Amino acid sequence: MSEVQAETPTVADFARTFRRIQAEIHKMIIGHEQAVEELLSALFAGGHVLIEGVPGTGKTTLVKTLGLALNLSFNRIQFTVDLMPADITGTRVILSGEDGRREFTFQPGPAFCHILLGDEINRATPKTQSALLEAMAELQVTVSGTTYRLKPPYFVMATLNPIEMEGTYPLPEAQLDRFLFKVRLNYPDEAELTRIISSTTGPEDAGIEPIFHADEAAVRVESLKRLVREVMAAPAMEIYAARLVRATQPQNSRFVTDEARGVHDEMVNRYVMFGSSPRGAQALILGAKVRALLDGRANIAREDIEHVAVAALAHRIMLNYAALSDGIDAAHIVERVIKSVRAAKV
Amino acid sequence: MSLPSPDRQAEEKLGKILGRVGSVRTRLNSLALQHAIFYTLAIAIACGAAIFAGAYLVSPLIFLIGGCALIVIAFIGIASAVSAGWRMRTSATHAAAIADDRAELKGRLSTIVALAGIETRGPLWSYLVEDTLGHHDEFAASKIERRRVSRGIYPLAGALVLAALAFPISKIKRAPQIIPGNGQDDLTVDLDDLHLRPADPGDESGMQVTADPATMRRLQDKLARETAGGGDVNGNSLNQLMNRARDMAGNLQNKLTGQQAASKQRLNLRLADAGRDQDQNEIHRAPDAQKNRHGETAGQFKQDQPKSNHEFDLPPEDDSRQPNSQPSPRGPGEASIESNAGKDNPNQDDSAADRSIQQSGENSSNGGEAHGIGADPDSLFGAPATSKLGSEGFEIAIEARPVDHGAKGAGHAYVPPKVRTPLSVNQEPDEPVARAAVPADDRSTIKRVFER
Repeated sequence: MSEVQAETPTVADFARTFRRIQAEIHKMIIGHEQAVEELLSALFAGGHVLIEGVPGTGKTTLVKTLGLALNLSFNRIQFTVDLMPADITGTRVILSGEDGRREFTFQPGPAFCHILLGDEINRATPKTQSALLEAMAELQVTVSGTTYRLKPPYFVMATLNPIEMEGTYPLPEAQLDRFLFKVRLNYPDEAELTRIISSTTGPEDAGIEPIFHADEAAVRVESLKRLVREVMAAPAMEIYAARLVRATQPQNSRFVTDEARGVHDEMVNRYVMFGSSPRGAQALILGAKVRALLDGRANIAREDIEHVAVAALAHRIMLNYAALSDGIDAAHIVERVIKSVRAAKV
Repeated sequence: MSLPSPDRQAEEKLGKILGRVGSVRTRLNSLALQHAIFYTLAIAIACGAAIFAGAYLVSPLIFLIGGCALIVIAFIGIASAVSAGWRMRTSATHAAAIADDRAELKGRLSTIVALAGIETRGPLWSYLVEDTLGHHDEFAASKIERRRVSRGIYPLAGALVLAALAFPISKIKRAPQIIPGNGQDDLTVDLDDLHLRPADPGDESGMQVTADPATMRRLQDKLARETAGGGDVNGNSLNQLMNRARDMAGNLQNKLTGQQAASKQRLNLRLADAGRDQDQNEIHRAPDAQKNRHGETAGQFKQDQPKSNHEFDLPPEDDSRQPNSQPSPRGPGEASIESNAGKDNPNQDDSAADRSIQQSGENSSNGGEAHGIGADPDSLFGAPATSKLGSEGFEIAIEARPVDHGAKGAGHAYVPPKVRTPLSVNQEPDEPVARAAVPADDRSTIKRVFER
């Protein structure tokens, strides 16, 4: 492990590793190229991902494949309405020691892993959902007053089923905001579906070859994450990201007080109830840095920011009922915001 | 492989990159400066040429208005051009951003320029410098901005062409077709029949009226009286203002064109009642009229086309060309002044006869001597005065003002076509109406009515 720690990846290493992981995942996942790229981008940017898709589009398979490819510890939690927070974080149980004494011992929950899949997270109660908040934000869980650190890398992927809303608990905004990206999995097209059929109904499963050895996987991933942080962002790019985020905030938002130099699209004012939080700007820059490394650059460009804008901002925008009635979704709002900011050239 | 740390060599490479960005910035700023200069020159030259050509081609008043408008437009245009040039100037960051966009360097240069001054650079800084320097051919100044000369050169060239055309355009202007002295006519009128008023501003057609100093003084006095008696103070002031403006514009035109007052068709004016009203005129001469008296030594007035209701009947053209071949059907006292700006009639050889005053003594054979005399309040009662000329209900309207020395004023008088319609079988020549005796008590009343 010490050798691994001494090795610092280069920009080329990052891009090469990223592409290899992608290739391994696509052995199992047919199509969804953009979703896989966004998933890996969130992983190396140090964030978490909310995956939304109808049943059968490969959400769970995607996450499991990622764990196999990275050779990292992987846990899966099926969220149900009766799932308790302790079922996620772990709890203290009474265990008998070798000397016969009984004492409370912390039994880690499934949250203690590198890659956690929260399947259908919106089926659990908000109390249970919020049990993940501390783990996602601070890489630690607190049980009975004791804080337990999670080993990095820690990557939470939660799936949402958008069509089965009965008996579900929509994620609170605070929890949504903690996901770096929201990845949407759509139905595969005919060619992809044909390939899925042929690859999953045969006698052999696609063999996923881990990219890293088990003992170095976490370190390698962490070093790649650090490299992402080293990518340079010119002040102009940071300003651009900030303007994008501010442009998602409608004029009637109570959180927006400084309207000077703001860009407000009419569609935003009409359909958006609350715009993106500052975490959206952070997500833009981090995602752009991954994109820059993949492009062989050590600096981010405007195109990088725009490329990840929908994934980084859409789930942070709260639409009003007018948007629902008019069939406007958040991704459309983000695209309009990008055009507005480009046109404004402020 | 470890990332190379920033060292002296990296700084040299950074210097190369910044130098290239600097050259890009220099070129862009040069273009911005050229833009401002070229457009400023183009606007100034174009407006100057237009003013120069206008000095030849248009009347003083139009020249004045147009010149002012052009000057205002020029100032606005120059201010816009300078402002645009100022906005086009680039900083190093802006130049780097432009180079990034045009060379598709995806923010490399912008990042380097923005972070070059920061001491704590990340481990990827050297990689960024190396990577950017690998694209050095793509952000050479000649590739980022190929133009060395601003596109503003085209408007400047156009303005120069316009300026070059202004000179021949000024020569296209028609030379005066009336030879001085050749079209000089004589006119003998009664001062009381003259209705004098300042010519309309901008009306450059007309002729010069010359007379002896005494006659000119009387005309001045009459003009002053009629102007003062007009009652429209604002109108008079406006007329005076317009005259001054026109004179100023004319002087400016003359300076620009290098011309003096162009020759106009001249009209020698004699007063039929010379000396009769001398004393009256002296009495009525108002102080302000004396102030207004000017140009007496020049002895020139411009005679314009009458615009009052008292238009002058014009004899047929054939008749005008042969004034003595067939008598005019008008009455002997009928006078006609054809004076106004014959711009469209270049045939001026016989214009003297055309513009001659059809006076009563000359064409009295067709009767009608007393026709309309009754319209003259002075002649309402009693026999018509034999010395009265042109008093048959007509006024000779001379819109007079001090002669305009502008270059435009050289146009020859317009001679409208004269149509003579012979009398039909049912028509009889005009005969003087026998006068009835008017009671002495009613005479003053009738006279007041007619005077009104």
